Amino acid sequence: MTIEQVAAAARPWTVLVVEDDPPTRAFFDGSVRGSPALRWLASCSTVGEALAWLEASAEVPDVLLADLGLPDGSGLDVIRAAVARYPHCEPLVISVFGDEANVLASIEAGAVGYIHKDAAPEDIAQIILEMKAGASPISPMIARRVLAKYRSLQADSRRSEAAPPVRPVEAATGRTLLSVREQEVLDLIARGFSYAEIARLKDLSVHTVQTHIKNLYGKLAVHSKNEAVYEAMRLGLLPGRG
Amino acid sequence: MAEPGSRLRRGLALLALVSLGWLAAAGVRAEVRELREARVKLGPEGGAADWRPTTLPYHWDRENRGTSGSASFELTFAFAGATPTEPYGLYFPSVGNAAEIWLNDRLLARFGDIDTPDVDDYAKAPRYVPVPPAMLQKNNVLRVGIRADGGRRGGLSGVSLGPASEMRDNVFSHAYAWRVTGSLLLGMLSLLAAFVALTFWVMQSHRGADGRPHRDSIYLWAGVAELCWTLRVGDALLPEPPLAWPYWGVVVTAAYAGWICGVLLFCHHVAGWRQHRSMRWMHVATAVLFGSSMLASWLALDRHQPLFLTAWLGCATLFSAAYSCFYMVATVRHPSVPRALVAAAGMLNVAIGVRDWIVIRISDSFGVITWNRYVSVFFGLALLYIVALRFRDASGQARELLSTLASRVAQREEELASTYGRLEVAAREQASTHERERILRDMHDGVGSHISAAIRQLQSGETSRHELLRTLRDSLDQLKLSIDSIHLPVGDVGALLAALRYRLEPRMVASGLALEWAVEELQPVAWLDAQGMRHLQFLMFEAVSNVLQHAQASVLRIEAAMHGEMLLLRAIDNGRGYDIARAPRALRERTLAIGARLVLESRPGRTVVQLEFDEGRIPGPGAGAVRG
Repeated sequence: MTIEQVAAAARPWTVLVVEDDPPTRAFFDGSVRGSPALRWLASCSTVGEALAWLEASAEVPDVLLADLGLPDGSGLDVIRAAVARYPHCEPLVISVFGDEANVLASIEAGAVGYIHKDAAPEDIAQIILEMKAGASPISPMIARRVLAKYRSLQADSRRSEAAPPVRPVEAATGRTLLSVREQEVLDLIARGFSYAEIARLKDLSVHTVQTHIKNLYGKLAVHSKNEAVYEAMRLGLLPGRG
Repeated sequence: MAEPGSRLRRGLALLALVSLGWLAAAGVRAEVRELREARVKLGPEGGAADWRPTTLPYHWDRENRGTSGSASFELTFAFAGATPTEPYGLYFPSVGNAAEIWLNDRLLARFGDIDTPDVDDYAKAPRYVPVPPAMLQKNNVLRVGIRADGGRRGGLSGVSLGPASEMRDNVFSHAYAWRVTGSLLLGMLSLLAAFVALTFWVMQSHRGADGRPHRDSIYLWAGVAELCWTLRVGDALLPEPPLAWPYWGVVVTAAYAGWICGVLLFCHHVAGWRQHRSMRWMHVATAVLFGSSMLASWLALDRHQPLFLTAWLGCATLFSAAYSCFYMVATVRHPSVPRALVAAAGMLNVAIGVRDWIVIRISDSFGVITWNRYVSVFFGLALLYIVALRFRDASGQARELLSTLASRVAQREEELASTYGRLEVAAREQASTHERERILRDMHDGVGSHISAAIRQLQSGETSRHELLRTLRDSLDQLKLSIDSIHLPVGDVGALLAALRYRLEPRMVASGLALEWAVEELQPVAWLDAQGMRHLQFLMFEAVSNVLQHAQASVLRIEAAMHGEMLLLRAIDNGRGYDIARAPRALRERTLAIGARLVLESRPGRTVVQLEFDEGRIPGPGAGAVRG
């Protein structure tokens, strides 16, 4: 029994598509409609349209497929609005290149993964269902970037422990951002190992590896919120602690 | 209203009261006797050994033409009524140079050694001798023996006798305060002024155009003048000077000359005539004045020719007077506070100098003192004020200089920052130009060539849909790799391989090619820059593409590990192999460009493309090697 079969047996996942390019939108719409495990809700081509749909919708989208470059703004705004209104909604970014700058920004806005525009039609539904089953894709480049950021936070945290705690939010997130296991998994991904190879090397199940990655996505989004709070405090927009 | 008669009575009563008070005071004064009539007998060196009558004061130098010697004076006085029972005192405005005082053949006091000539001098200060009432008789004989050195203003002034309270507390104290305490205070003031001026002279040095240190000589002349004056007035406090007479006399006269010279040069500086040609003449004149003072005093004191000193003092006074007048005129023409102060002090000093010269050197007065010592204080104060003023101005200039310097430094820093900014902009522009060139090259070698190939395939009409799709996928993969390379850390081969796998693995999976991944932790390759990284990416992409398209392999193994300092990278497949002599030329060229060593090995079932990155290896020709 495939994931698709398992998913189709249960309630199908509802999907909202936000993409401005008509052929691509039609491609994604078709891919979603073609899967019995998914239920297409609507397609929007602009940020304004998407926000209005989210505002007016009576149905909760389980999955949001969002392009970043929209005519009237960034898809990041749609992701943020969707996550804010429907915390259980899981956004996936539609990306041509899956390049680290865009993907990281999307993750920090609340996305839990990304889909390449050139993916095969059958892969689209597969990626969505894998994501709902607990998987999150992460490229070695992104893993490397996250590790570098984590290490610099850790160094900051050590400094702030030696000195008076000048950046409490940062220090706290630095300590709690990654567990040792998550760090090991990230390190291997950054070196190009696949989830299966990592599971074999670390004596874990592939599912556990995927869970680690998905947790990491959540932490990155939280961390990005903490950073925003810290910045606001630093700029005097919020009262400082203690 | 009071009547006119009563007012007159009150006025007469007041007049009577005042008259009584005056009479009472006269009664007290009547007790003080001025003893002026005396008999004198010169010592054996004087020739005439007989007593002869004289009237005091007895001015030794006038009476004996500046020679040294000794004399005895006898003064008598009597009390008409009963002898006094209260203590009495004798007051001598001047006695000496050394003296012994006897009353009724009993020694009352001794000032210095009357037997040793040219040593001590007690005539410079007033003397008071207490007289116990028991020593007083109805008829008394006061005998005063003196020793006088030639030209030292020795002799005996008039003697005052009276009750001790009056003589000591009023007459003597008053005279002592003027002559000794006054000299002490003036000497201290002059010493302070000298110290301040000389300190400034030592500290205020600046480098001149010739690179040598220069000091402002106005402070030097102020200091010299005040130092000389300290010596001059301080002499009154030294009954036993450090040098014997007449050497000490020459020193004191030279100090006086030094004061005049210092003051004149100081005035010249204050007027702003430092660079004026008259300054040279002033130097000559003051040098002559100073030198001649020593000569004149030597002749006057040692050769007993007082006229020389009198003449010198007259000339010095005359010269100073002429200079003061000239200075005053110049000040009136171009007034300023320092000039006016100096000119006024100068005129006053010259006027007093003339008075002193007449009273002391020309008239026969004895026991009088110079007034110059008192009025010179104005000079000292003016000098201190001007020195302070100049120092304040100099400090102000220094502050201004510092602020100018600070603003210049700030300006220079701004210029440097602007230059640095321009350089930075240029560097950024250069970097972005390089980046643009690299991207253009990528587009040409990668996407561009693939799209051209796709067009050719379509135009030929012979290509299959599958082949066309592969070409386009290659194109997109190249584009993705190109984007990845922008973010790749320079020299990080591990990151490059991981990104390559991430991009190409879907195609390997689609082709049924299994991938074995044996990439260890790698050290960065120091010399591999962004362009080098791109070359390596192309190289690996080509190698994998070859395996995918031509090798018919089922397994591709990517190995990367450090062997000591060397990074070894290998792509091994189990395909059919190929003739390594016909390996693509681009492969070798790219290997050369990144400074690696290429080793190719191929046979059916095992083909190895090996790249060796050796630490310290310089990129250059001959890096490739082929093993069949």
